[in-house]
Amino acid sequence: MISRFERVSNYVIVIALTVGVLFPVAWFVLTSLSPNTSGALDFSNIAWSNFTAAWHDGNLAHSMYASLVITVSAVIGQTILAILSGYAFGVLGVVGERFLFPVILLGMMVSTEVIVIPLYYEFQRIGLTNSWLGLVIIQLGMGVPFGTYWMRATFRALPRSVMDSAAVDGAGVWNTLWRILVPMARPAVLTLVLLSFMWTWNDFFLSLIFLGDPDKQTATVALGAFQGRHVLQVNLMAAGSLIVSLPVVALYLFFQREFISGVMAGAVKE
Amino acid sequence: MSVLAIGRTKARTRTVSRQTRKRRWIGLLFLSPALLLYGVIVLVPLLQTVNYSFYKWDGVSEPTWVGLRNYLEFGRDPRMYAAFGHVLVLILMFGLIPLGLGLISAALLSRAKIRGEGIYRWFLFLPQVLTSVVVAIIWKRIYAPDGPLNSLLRGVGLGHLTRNWLGDFTWALPSLGMIGVWGGFGFTMVLFLAGILAIPDELYEAARLDGSTRWQEFWLITLPSLRGQMAIALTLTITGALRTFDMVYITTQGGPGTATTTPALLLYQLAFVNPDVGRASATGVVLAVLCLGIAVGITRIMENKDR
Repeated sequence: MISRFERVSNYVIVIALTVGVLFPVAWFVLTSLSPNTSGALDFSNIAWSNFTAAWHDGNLAHSMYASLVITVSAVIGQTILAILSGYAFGVLGVVGERFLFPVILLGMMVSTEVIVIPLYYEFQRIGLTNSWLGLVIIQLGMGVPFGTYWMRATFRALPRSVMDSAAVDGAGVWNTLWRILVPMARPAVLTLVLLSFMWTWNDFFLSLIFLGDPDKQTATVALGAFQGRHVLQVNLMAAGSLIVSLPVVALYLFFQREFISGVMAGAVKE
Repeated sequence: MSVLAIGRTKARTRTVSRQTRKRRWIGLLFLSPALLLYGVIVLVPLLQTVNYSFYKWDGVSEPTWVGLRNYLEFGRDPRMYAAFGHVLVLILMFGLIPLGLGLISAALLSRAKIRGEGIYRWFLFLPQVLTSVVVAIIWKRIYAPDGPLNSLLRGVGLGHLTRNWLGDFTWALPSLGMIGVWGGFGFTMVLFLAGILAIPDELYEAARLDGSTRWQEFWLITLPSLRGQMAIALTLTITGALRTFDMVYITTQGGPGTATTTPALLLYQLAFVNPDVGRASATGVVLAVLCLGIAVGITRIMENKDR
């Protein structure tokens, strides 16, 4: 149906675009393996030791641990909250939902910048700044709108007959949710977990503001500080950056479809 | 229907509705943890920000009420003018260029199955999942005086074009904009490809029977059908431009001078570095209203065209 010329030109376009997007990343990967602190590439001597050096110099062990604790807690919490509130809106119905649901959806339009100032000064007053718990609480609250929206749509799309037959079997409200609905909604829950992991791990703005203490810093903030100090050791900076981005990129490698469809669905929500 | 039957149905609806009502209270119970956190973390601070914006406060001593002064001073502050002006350039580069590139490439690529689709899509979408700090560091390196971009220019005999891209008053902002083009393009392309696949083939077949050229097909069928996707892409990229922070904080800190300041960077500095909390809050409110206005406005325009 399409000409040979067009077929060939399609491949040329795709390859050109991919190379264009990939070039900066590939260059950076090669830089991280170079023994030259100036960042000049050197293919004859691959310096794997850059990664261990960056790990130690950048205090990455400590900050990666911080990121991991914060991210895992936030993901678990956000997912449970989303399942509960999605079940409430999508299946049970909620007293005052005509008012409550739009109010929660409004949160998807509220950007972090607008709420961060009072949050900081209030949290400082009650001693929740420089605390992982404080940051997790913020992530949980901010994750509610998308999580609710996402799980409500998921549960609503399940066949009504499943819930009716569960009710006939005498399964309680609680058991129906966890034994029947959640297992059926596993793909959507997985996507939510992946998105929530990516958003929390990649966060810089909130961690920068709420975790000023170097002992509490997350990996993204530690990396930001590290690159400020190590302008003269480009290879280490590149190695450190790759370490910090690895968890999300590794997940993306295995769950490409979920990531892309999730980000797209997240975009279309508005 | 006999009176008896009516009475029976009524009784049943009443018990059903009582059951439903009970279920809706249980629903509220299930919702309550999320609702509580959402209220404390999002709703209350949202109102507090508006309240803060009417005060002059350094974050430590007693705040004083100044009414609308923080907003009125907005118009006289050259830093604000600069920051919101920069956003216009960023909107152009984050929003319009990826939109155009995404449309063209999606229109071309949708016409035939391409082998290795999963692979190229993985790479083109990668900037969307990559940690923003890492993206900023990568590009800081690319633009460095001794970085690959300058080496490339020297290599092809354009040595006179080399410069310290991010330290240059004229070029720093467009250079940052290019990062947005790089990062946003994969997103718009995937979005538009999905949109094109949803257009019924019959439309194209009918157009072909009428003897339309490929160019006409694009203008008359593809483009109008993608209106929804274009609205989404524009809304996200434009609000993204308004909220630019990580990238600027890591690469230039707003410099050289104020050549690359953004509203979010100013907000951060005013709120936490040299606290003028009222002014920072006013910036936040303006930013939020702009984001909301743009989202609503774009949706309106796109819907109006539908009719």
